[in-house]
Amino acid sequence: MENRYMKQITAMGLFALALWTAACGGGTTTPTSADKGPIQIWTMEDSTAFTALMQDFTKQTGIPVQVEAVPWGNVNDKLTTAVASGNGPDLMQVGLSLLPSFESAGALLDLSPYVKDHPALQSSNYLSAVAADKINPSGKVLSVPWVSDVRVLFYRTDILGAAGISAPPSTWTQFHDDAVVLAQRGKGKYGYYIPQWDSALPVEFTWEAGGNVMQNGKVTFDTPQFKAAADFYISFYKDKLVPTASDFDQAQGFISGTAPMVISGPYLASAIKGTAPQLDGKWNVALLPRNQKGTSLFAGSNMGIWSKSKHVEASLRLLDYLAQANAQLAWYKAANELPTAKTALADPTLTSDPMVKTYSNQLQDAQLLPLVPKWDKISQALLDSLNSIVLKGADETSTLASLNATVSSLQT
Amino acid sequence: MTVTAARNDLRSRMVAFRPPWQRATLVPYVLVGPALLCLVTFSVLSILVAVVVSLTNLDIGGLANYGQVRFIGLRNYQTMFGDPAFWEALGNTAFFVIVGVPTLVIGSLIIAIALNFSRSWIFRALRAFYFVPAITAIVAISLIWGNLYNSQFGLLNYLLSLIGRDPVQWLTDPTIAKFSVALVAIWRGSGLDIIIFLAALQAIPPEYYEAASVDGATEWQKIFRITVPLMRFAIFFVTVTTLINWMQFFDEPYVLTRGGPVHATTSMSLYIYQQGFSYNEFGFASAASIVLFAIIAVVTGLQLRARLGGDA
Repeated sequence: MENRYMKQITAMGLFALALWTAACGGGTTTPTSADKGPIQIWTMEDSTAFTALMQDFTKQTGIPVQVEAVPWGNVNDKLTTAVASGNGPDLMQVGLSLLPSFESAGALLDLSPYVKDHPALQSSNYLSAVAADKINPSGKVLSVPWVSDVRVLFYRTDILGAAGISAPPSTWTQFHDDAVVLAQRGKGKYGYYIPQWDSALPVEFTWEAGGNVMQNGKVTFDTPQFKAAADFYISFYKDKLVPTASDFDQAQGFISGTAPMVISGPYLASAIKGTAPQLDGKWNVALLPRNQKGTSLFAGSNMGIWSKSKHVEASLRLLDYLAQANAQLAWYKAANELPTAKTALADPTLTSDPMVKTYSNQLQDAQLLPLVPKWDKISQALLDSLNSIVLKGADETSTLASLNATVSSLQT
Repeated sequence: MTVTAARNDLRSRMVAFRPPWQRATLVPYVLVGPALLCLVTFSVLSILVAVVVSLTNLDIGGLANYGQVRFIGLRNYQTMFGDPAFWEALGNTAFFVIVGVPTLVIGSLIIAIALNFSRSWIFRALRAFYFVPAITAIVAISLIWGNLYNSQFGLLNYLLSLIGRDPVQWLTDPTIAKFSVALVAIWRGSGLDIIIFLAALQAIPPEYYEAASVDGATEWQKIFRITVPLMRFAIFFVTVTTLINWMQFFDEPYVLTRGGPVHATTSMSLYIYQQGFSYNEFGFASAASIVLFAIIAVVTGLQLRARLGGDA
């Protein structure tokens, strides 16, 4: 008989056992001047492209790099195991949304004493959305920006054109009106698609309504701007402009034309180009529709050094290398991930591509999600509330009131 | 005293002076020792540790720096009992148990009896066929069923469209999703239960059936008067294990819906998993797992007691 419960209990038990065995590993990290590694790095998903990039680094510095790819879904498991055992890599790629977890786990080394020796790592070199004070609310320098990702409006020029819409919507009103027109194409056709797992979307809408979800260091949804965002979000469901199925596939829906407008990042562009090259020229990207503002979500990843790394100096050299425009552009070519360094973003290879130009412009007006440890729970509560309104028909006023109560109790 | 008597006396003394490990009374303990050691280390100790952890605020920060871990008494339990998601998970688990366990036990029993009617090659092939779900990897199952159920391009909705029916939101309607997920679990769990029932069926001596035929019993009478009563122990065993498995229901909602839409398929185990491994709240998750453990222990204890009462 399979006993899953015991497995969970055992896992909990192991964490707690670690609690008593204490004081393992560690030691002082006094880097020698000729630190030649080898260093180990955890990156996300596919490691082939990153390994290729590292060959150039090794050629320049003589420091061998071991690349281990971690699937996004396993990041948290990897982190807890590494923290509990004290055995981690030297460097790790950290998704921006995971920064608070990594910080509270004490997994990242404070780089502030080293930054002055590595001018490439200075905050002013990076986009303002990922300035040092924005990615390090606690004041240290626990990680440096690596790649950026931003949400823009994807639209099908052919379908919008056939429906008599000549330009992509640039305001909330136009956005909603266009969605109405597009949904009138027939049964099973929609104007837009809202991913039900996407907790960033209502936050983006709040920013666009001119508000903020952080006030005095705490997350709050008790603002008129959030109310406007929630109303806007709900209106797409109320007017039946978006699919209600939670397993609706965004790329599939956009390619088939079921959902001819979606808000997504550059990875969707790669997916479309890869799976539906015949759509070339029939779709485009635009800046997000504006209300008071047109602020988008800044996603992406940082790089940090593991707090117990024994190769801090070699790791710093790798960080320095990755911050250079050359490496950032090479990585864009290999993996289609946008740079975070301003010089790389201004490079003609990027600015000559009109779609990248749109991403680049939107990056200038993009914000990070709140970097607070409870954000995972808060954003789940946010999604649960909005989804129970739009899918289960829960009462908006009372649901949002209980959301506010939950959010404030989570932060006491 | 004769020589024989002296020898016998000596022999009995030798028995009395045998070292402890040769005494018959110790043998059973030595034999169960390794198993007991494993049970204590990996189950009893873990449960005790979980009890202790459930009284703390252990999270990922605490894991990194034990100085941050504090005993907070029963606060985890208080928070949990005040969390609507906990009660929803408990309710969902009850739903899955009430729908899944009787369907699975009765369905498997019927299929096993039907499969046992003949030993021809068709029936033997069918037996293998019914066991396939039990040995298929859960990831493959989730891929196949996910694609059958998919609301955009799923096969089931395509078949419905052929007969002019509206598509069904198999995994995306909060109520239907519960049944869809339970169906996959019933399908997957049936293989093992059918095999156990088949083994029990084949252990029933055929003389009973022959005697019943001579007495003029119908097939139905044979099933209800001979087969089912003689399978009491197998039915009891399958019910207990199936019930425990369903109270720990996890795999199917985890791979098919991740507990959604809006918690509709979040079972207790999935709730514990999310708290522990998505939010890194190990103390809280331990508290929830202790509650689930207590529920399973009570339910299983009641069943064992009912069984003993019925047999005495």
